[in-house]
Amino acid sequence: MKPKPKTLFLSVAILTLGSCVTQSSPVAAQSSCCVKAETPAAFTDKSIYQTESIWTTDQEKHIKLSALAGRPQVVAMFFAHCQFACPIIVNDMKRIEAALPADVSDRIGFNLVSFDAKRDTPSALAEYREARDLPAKSWTLMCGHPDDVLELAALLGVRFKEDGNGQFAHSNVITILNAQGEIVHQQIGLNQDIHETVRLLQQLVKN
Amino acid sequence: MALIPTGVYHPLFRSESGSNGVHVKSFYLDILPVTNGDFLAFVRANPRWQRSRVKRIFADEFYLKSWAGDLEPGSNAPANAPVTDVSWFAAKAYAQWKGNRLPTLAEWEYAASANSTRADSEQDPEFKRQVLNWYCTPATARLSPVGLGQTNFWGIHDLHGLVWEWVADFNSALLTGGAQGDTGLDRRLFCGGGAQGAADVQDYPAFMRYAFRSSLKADYCVHNLGFRCAKDL
Repeated sequence: MKPKPKTLFLSVAILTLGSCVTQSSPVAAQSSCCVKAETPAAFTDKSIYQTESIWTTDQEKHIKLSALAGRPQVVAMFFAHCQFACPIIVNDMKRIEAALPADVSDRIGFNLVSFDAKRDTPSALAEYREARDLPAKSWTLMCGHPDDVLELAALLGVRFKEDGNGQFAHSNVITILNAQGEIVHQQIGLNQDIHETVRLLQQLVKN
Repeated sequence: MALIPTGVYHPLFRSESGSNGVHVKSFYLDILPVTNGDFLAFVRANPRWQRSRVKRIFADEFYLKSWAGDLEPGSNAPANAPVTDVSWFAAKAYAQWKGNRLPTLAEWEYAASANSTRADSEQDPEFKRQVLNWYCTPATARLSPVGLGQTNFWGIHDLHGLVWEWVADFNSALLTGGAQGDTGLDRRLFCGGGAQGAADVQDYPAFMRYAFRSSLKADYCVHNLGFRCAKDL
């Protein structure tokens, strides 16, 4: 097996501490740490992991989405101030997690990506994790630059719009990605029957 | 590029917060849509955006379909005609390569609401009729060159009358899915009765654009859909 090409780790401190809105230019931020170098060619044509965007987790880690590769992932977009739909989306994801046998759920990641770059700072997301009791082992909460949020929404087919009151109108979609980052299933709507999603996840883990 | 000064865009549907329009900060907007010639320079410099190399997730199978080859636009895509059959991802990548960005929906609509003599064509039914007439005319296989139409008040060509254009936040038009799929304010658009909430029910062109944008996905490549770039001051 050929060794993977070494990459320089750029330690440019572009990210303002504790904030997700880091720059006004759409030029992608360079990764500062922890990002395994992956060439785009490493992913299939339909993998969303080809995107170069960098995200900040509630634990202040800066990751590319490709860091999620290697295991199936459950992904939803949300915002912490959402009073109606998002708590139900999160609850739906917890129902999915709870319905899986432990040896399966251990091998699946659950991800929440925020629309709200202004208010959902890493520490706000950490509070959300605490309040919703989302275990660090399996759940990742992320925020990013508004351009990258738009791009991820485009990749997932999620529509959203900020209204004048700091609320977001948005699609309610829970997406299942396989280990390569391809969309294999989308559960659309709130409080849906999770049976099909659970079955698919079990199958993905077995394969 | 032309400078579009600060102004207010009046969306077709006002949010429940009852705002009196969206404040648009001054910005630069391309005078002309991006052409096949412009786009050829982009794919030369960025081979991953060539037709045979593009990743399917970033552009569907119709990407640059009217071109003769990866680096040959060919006779159906003259160098001075607007580039079309490009996805939102490709348009965005082009804009970034140029050091620019795509205009936002509010910026585009604000710039496009100018007729040839006024910044705001709200009181100009004839202008709206012309735009609507164009919407009713099928696109030809070979599109006309850019820049032939009259400039608008800001000195911009072809915002209407040549091709539809991508905007950065095209996916903010919430008009998809079943009743439960979207949690949104704009569901008033779903049925005819809902149109009573529109700011100007006579503004058919705005309805058309809203409907068109809400039907798009970011990987779609459409024959009459191109783009132009914008830039911050």
